[in-house]
Amino acid sequence: MADRAFDTRRLPGATVLALACFVILYIPMVILVANSFNTGKVIGQWEGVSLHWYARALQNDAFLAAARTSLILASLAALIATITATMAALATTRSRGFRGEGTIHIVLNQPIMVPEIVLAIALLIIIAQIKQATGYTGLGYLVIAHSAFCIPFAYMPIRARLEGMDLTLETAAADLYAGRLYTFRKVTLPLLAPGILAGFMLAFVISLDDVVISDFLKSPGQDTLPTYLLGELRRNLTSEIYAISSLLLLISVLIVAGSWLLTRKKT
Amino acid sequence: MLDLHRLTKSFGKGDSAVTALHEVSFSIAEGEFFTLLGPSGCGKTTLLRLIAGFEPPSGGALVLDGRDIAHVPPNQRPVNTVFQNYALFPHMTVAENVGFALGAQGRPRAEIAATVERMLALVKLSHLAGRKSAALSGGQQQRVALARALAARPRILLLDEPLSALDMKLRKEMQVELKRLQQETGLTFIFVTHDQEEALTMSDRIAVMAGGRIQQIASPRDLYDQPANRFVAGFIGETNFLPAHCTAGRLTLPQAAAPLPVPHADGPVTVMIRPEHVALGQARPDALVLTAQVDRLVYFGTDTHVHLHLSDGSPLVARVQNALRGGQPCAAGQTIPVSLPGEALRLLPCDEAA
Ligand SMILES: Nc1ncnc2c1ncn2[C@@H]1O[C@H](COP(=O)(O)OP(=O)(O)OP(=O)(O)O)[C@@H](O)[C@H]1O
Ligand SMILES: [Mg+2]
Repeated sequence: MADRAFDTRRLPGATVLALACFVILYIPMVILVANSFNTGKVIGQWEGVSLHWYARALQNDAFLAAARTSLILASLAALIATITATMAALATTRSRGFRGEGTIHIVLNQPIMVPEIVLAIALLIIIAQIKQATGYTGLGYLVIAHSAFCIPFAYMPIRARLEGMDLTLETAAADLYAGRLYTFRKVTLPLLAPGILAGFMLAFVISLDDVVISDFLKSPGQDTLPTYLLGELRRNLTSEIYAISSLLLLISVLIVAGSWLLTRKKT
Repeated sequence: MLDLHRLTKSFGKGDSAVTALHEVSFSIAEGEFFTLLGPSGCGKTTLLRLIAGFEPPSGGALVLDGRDIAHVPPNQRPVNTVFQNYALFPHMTVAENVGFALGAQGRPRAEIAATVERMLALVKLSHLAGRKSAALSGGQQQRVALARALAARPRILLLDEPLSALDMKLRKEMQVELKRLQQETGLTFIFVTHDQEEALTMSDRIAVMAGGRIQQIASPRDLYDQPANRFVAGFIGETNFLPAHCTAGRLTLPQAAAPLPVPHADGPVTVMIRPEHVALGQARPDALVLTAQVDRLVYFGTDTHVHLHLSDGSPLVARVQNALRGGQPCAAGQTIPVSLPGEALRLLPCDEAA
């Protein structure tokens, strides 16, 4: 086994370091989730297991409104981002190289690179003016902003899927009398579907978890789950927050796991 | 029915341009099993892609049933392809794959179902109709690809090395199967291979290609017996080449005892003779008789290959059929007379680059 590829597991201390990382990452979350089931009010004073705080949260209208806003926002933003990302991925893989293709890549993936706070400030300047000019204070601004920064996350799995796709399949479809639209509907889209679904889920989670941009752009009285939690934290730290955080965590984990399973299949 | 007229294809522009096909012209008749044979990179796939419409020609005409289809898109050509990697749709069942072309043409469901059933019966895969195409063996995928390409009854079926991914035994079976299918359906096949044995056993006519040019088009027998040039002679089967000279209607070989009268223009020529026509031992009157030394004998079961060399060192191989109780035709180290019968000699222009 002397010529085995480099194996990080055999580096001295690697196992310890990895374990330490996992502990630091996950222990706080475990504590948070555990506390959400604590009947008592104070962290560290265990008064028994119950769903007390979850029940409280589900009777809290402000939380429910924020949750509703977040789900609508994430769904719309993920939908728009996924459609845009699908078209972008098709354009960048299916067409023979065109001028400015490299630029399009950079522009598409820019939201990953640019500090979010900068993006938020930039958007705030423009949107504040639009708000003033039009008087519209609805969810539209957040939908557009979220769609924009979700595009690269939706784009990645879709593009990966497209690059792995056998191009002769589309040639074969054309050979068998299929027009462009029929080929897209019957061959390209079904084969791309797992990538598109994975992209949608990723975009959904990214939108659901966003704090900075939402906090900057939201209109007064508007709240998404993260901005609601932030506001509550500033005022009073109750165990209800743990319950809500745990719910948010659960949704994210489920969706990320789902997306991972989808992209993993068939490789 | 299909006429190619000076069909040319170049890739790239300017200095980096590659001409994959140089003014290829030939005609294919209805119901013919036509094979494109040639070494790797000679342009077989390119020619097939032009006929299928995946690639526009750079020049020339492609006429099918009197209509120039050179620039008709592939989905409007009555021509279907069996791809080398089969290119089956992995998300569809076998039946859906086979019915794809009819679906794309918007035929009614009942007709599609009936045709799919007929096609699957033709390739003996009816029992796998509901199976996902990714879950098939190589030979089964091959049959599905065939059924799929045949379902819409194309005017021409194009096959790009369809058997090259199969193992030896399966390959022989599919050769027979393909030929049977072609005869049963009466369709025109254009078949690409770089396996000369496959080409010889299956084809009505073979086009031998090299460097983007057609070298010769002939029946398998004519190709073997009357190769047009040194490339074709060397590519199809095994052969011997000897340099010679024609003077006043007589062929002289430096090593030959006496010249042989031949109807050929004067000048240097290359003499070609197949190993099975080289006769050992006896000196025959209608032959060029040479003296050669035996280097070694290689036993092949049905025959023995005798490797010889002439006095000037040029090699010569003779193939001798093994008799039941014959023993060895000669022994290594012996010097023996060798006859090259006049009717087995082919004279090729000798300036030909091999
Ligand atoms: N898209 C392309 N761009 C540039 N050159 C190409 C392209 N397709 C083919 N060629 C060139 O054209 C020539 C013929 O290629 P082709 O694929 O037709 O060969 P082939 O006879 O099918 O070979 P093989 O037996 O290896 O499949 C080659 O020199 C190849 O490099
Ligand atoms: Mg090829």
